Amino acid sequence: MDLSYTAAEEEFRSELRAWLQANIPDEWVRPGFWEALPDDESFQLRRDWERDKAMAGFAGIQWPTEFGGRGGTPGMKAIYDVEMVRARAPQTVNPLGLAFLAPTVMAIGTDAQRKEIIGPLLRNEVIWCQGFSEPGAGSDLAALATRGVRDGDDFVVNGQKVWTTNAMHGDKVFTMVRTEPDSARHRGISMLLIDMHQPGVEARPLKQMSGASEFGEVFFTDARVPATDVLGEIGDGWRTAMLLLSFERGASGMAQYTEFRRQYDEVVEVATRLGKDRDPVLRAKLARVLTDLECLRLHAWHVLTQVEQGSDLGFEASMTKLMWSETSQDLWEVYDELLGEDATLDRLRLDDLDLDLRPLHAQAMWSRSVTIWGGSSQVQRNVTAERVLGLPR
Amino acid sequence: MFFALTDDQREFGAAVRGYLAGRFDLEAVRGVFEDADGPGHPESLWKAAAEQGWLAVTVPEEHDGLGLGLVEAQVIARELGAGVAPGPWRGTVLAAEAVRLAGSDEQRAAWLPRLASGGAVGAFTTRGRVPGVLPTVEYGGLADVVVAPSGDGLALVTDGAATPRGSYDGTTRIAAVEAGGAEALPGASPAVVAELTARATVLVAADLVGVAREALTRTVAYDRDREQFGVPVGSFQAIKHALADLHVAVTMAEHAALYAAHAVDAGLEGRDLAVAVAKAKASDAALDATAAMIQYHGGIGYTWEHEAHFFYKRAKRLAGQFGTADEHRARIADLTIG
Repeated sequence: MDLSYTAAEEEFRSELRAWLQANIPDEWVRPGFWEALPDDESFQLRRDWERDKAMAGFAGIQWPTEFGGRGGTPGMKAIYDVEMVRARAPQTVNPLGLAFLAPTVMAIGTDAQRKEIIGPLLRNEVIWCQGFSEPGAGSDLAALATRGVRDGDDFVVNGQKVWTTNAMHGDKVFTMVRTEPDSARHRGISMLLIDMHQPGVEARPLKQMSGASEFGEVFFTDARVPATDVLGEIGDGWRTAMLLLSFERGASGMAQYTEFRRQYDEVVEVATRLGKDRDPVLRAKLARVLTDLECLRLHAWHVLTQVEQGSDLGFEASMTKLMWSETSQDLWEVYDELLGEDATLDRLRLDDLDLDLRPLHAQAMWSRSVTIWGGSSQVQRNVTAERVLGLPR
Repeated sequence: MFFALTDDQREFGAAVRGYLAGRFDLEAVRGVFEDADGPGHPESLWKAAAEQGWLAVTVPEEHDGLGLGLVEAQVIARELGAGVAPGPWRGTVLAAEAVRLAGSDEQRAAWLPRLASGGAVGAFTTRGRVPGVLPTVEYGGLADVVVAPSGDGLALVTDGAATPRGSYDGTTRIAAVEAGGAEALPGASPAVVAELTARATVLVAADLVGVAREALTRTVAYDRDREQFGVPVGSFQAIKHALADLHVAVTMAEHAALYAAHAVDAGLEGRDLAVAVAKAKASDAALDATAAMIQYHGGIGYTWEHEAHFFYKRAKRLAGQFGTADEHRARIADLTIG
C-alpha cells in the first residue's frame, strides 16, 4: 500500500497550484459568478482562459509530447483534475474533444487528422461537439437514423442529434451517421467529422428543466462532409465509437470526490444554519452519503492503481459511473428533504439568516441528469450484470 | 499510488482460500454447524491456522510471529468469512494484539509465542467488565485467555467460568464468562483500548466482506444456470439489477475494509472515519448480499440443506459486532458534521 505520489508528481502539483493561484481572479470563484454572466460572454472568457492554461503547459497532461501534450503520468492527470476542482477553476469548454476525440484520433486517426485536429483542440481554436444521441436513439444508440448518402467526394447528411453539449458554440461535430442504406443496428455506421459552420447544419439550444441550456439540438439538412473526414473506417463507426467511449475510463474519480465532498460540506452548512444539524435522522442520512463518498475516493485510488499497473479496467467503468452518479443524487435528495417546506424557495429567510439557495438548487437539479447521460443507471446495471458478473443476456 | 494488495498479500489470501476449498469445505462447515453441542473448534483447521501462520500474522518476529500488519490479517479474515469457517481465529489474533500493544515484557513472553503457535486460544470482548460477567464471549468456553474491559483499561482473564449460550449461527460458539481473578495489561491506556477495538472492528468488517462476496458469487453462479419460464433466471433484469447493485456495494466494502486496515496500521489521521466507514459498509453489504442469496435461490435457498443460511446467519451475527451500521453512521456523523 502506498497512497503517495512521486516527487515529480508533487512538484507538478506545486507548479500547477501556483499557476492557478496567479491566474484565477477572486471574483470568478464567488458563488453565482458564472451563472450571472450571459452565456456567450461566459463561454468566451473560459475559452480564452483555457487557451492560456494550455500555453502555460497545463493541458493534455497525459498526452504524448509529440501531440503537444505534457507527457505526464496517470498520477499527474489525477492531480490535475483534483487541483482544478480545488481551485474552482472554470470548467473546460471542450470536454468532449479533449476527453474523447483527441485520444481516439491519436489511436486510429490518419497522420493528417492528427495534425489538423489535436493541436487546434488543445488551443481551443476548434470547439468539438459529440453527435451521438438522437430523439429515437438514446440508451439504444444503435437505433440511430441520421443518414449519409455518398455524392461524389462527399457524404450528404440528413437527420437530427440531441443532447449535444455546447451545440451553440461548436465548430465541428464528430457524428455517428448511417452511411450504408438499409443497414441495421451496429453495421453501416461511420463516424463523420462535420463542419458546423455551413448552411446544412443548424444548432438550437435545448432548455433543460433547470432552466439552463448546457445541451442543444443539431439538425442536418443536406449537410456536406468530405468522405475523407471519417474517423476510422467507413462503415466501421460502431467500433470507433466503442473505442472513443472507452476513454471515459480515464474520468477522474478523485476530482469527483473532491467536488462531491465540497457539496456535502455545503449541505451540512445549510443544515447547521437551519439548526437541523442535531437531528439524528438527518445525521444518519448524511452519514450514509458520506460513507459512499469515502468509498468513491477509495475506488478512485483503485482505478488509478489499475491504470498505473497497465491493467485493463474493461467494463468496470460501468460500476464506477453507477456508483458516483447515484451517490451524487442521494446527496441532493438529502438536501431537498432538509429544506422541508422551503424546498423550492429561491432564498431562505429566517431571523438573521438570508441565504441564496439558487446555486444549490442548480446542483440538486443537475443531479437528476447524471443518472441518465453517459449511459443511464439502468444500462450500467445491465452492463455490470452481463459483462462483469457474467449473467446471461 | 498503490491501493491494492501486493503479490505476497494476495498469495497469502489464496493459500487460505485454497486450504479451505480443499480441506475444509462447506460440508465440513456443515458438520460443525449441526453439531451444536460440540466445541465448534475443528482440530485440523486449527492445526492449519497454526502451521500456515494465520495465527502468528501480527505477532512480532521476536515472539515467533510473522510481524505483519492488519492489512495481512484482514486478508485472512476475508477468506475465513468467504469460507464461513468456524474456530477461534479472530479472538486469538486479537488477544495477541492486546498483549502486543499493552502487555508487559513478561506477559508478551508468556503469551505471544503460545497464541502465535495455536498452543493457546484467545478471546476478546468489549462487553461486560472485570470483575463480573462478560456476557457474550466468542469461544469463551475454550479460551485460555480472555481480554476484557477492566476499569479504564484491559485485563487478561485466565480462570473464567464459562456458560454456553445458544446461537443460531453454528459457525461459532458463544459463552458467558464469569471473570474472577484477572491480570491487568499495564499499557492499556484509553488510546490503546481504542486502537485494539479499531483492529477488532476491521477484522469483523473483513470477515463480513468475505461473506458478502462469496454469497454474491454463489448466487450469480446459481442464477446463470437455474431456468424458469424457459430461460436462466439471471437473464431477468429484476435480478440482474439487484445483483449489479450488490456487486457495487460489495466492491466498495472491499475497498473500505482494505483501507481501514491500512489506516490503522499506518496510524493515519482519518483512521477513525475509515474504520467506521468500513464497518458500516461491510455490515450492510453482507446483510444485503446474504438476504439476496436466499431470495435469488428461491425456495431451495430457504432450506436447511442449502448453504445460504450459513452465510446469512454469520452476517447477522457479525453485522452487530463492535457496532451496527447505524452506530457507525452515528460516529461518521460526529466526525464529519460535528
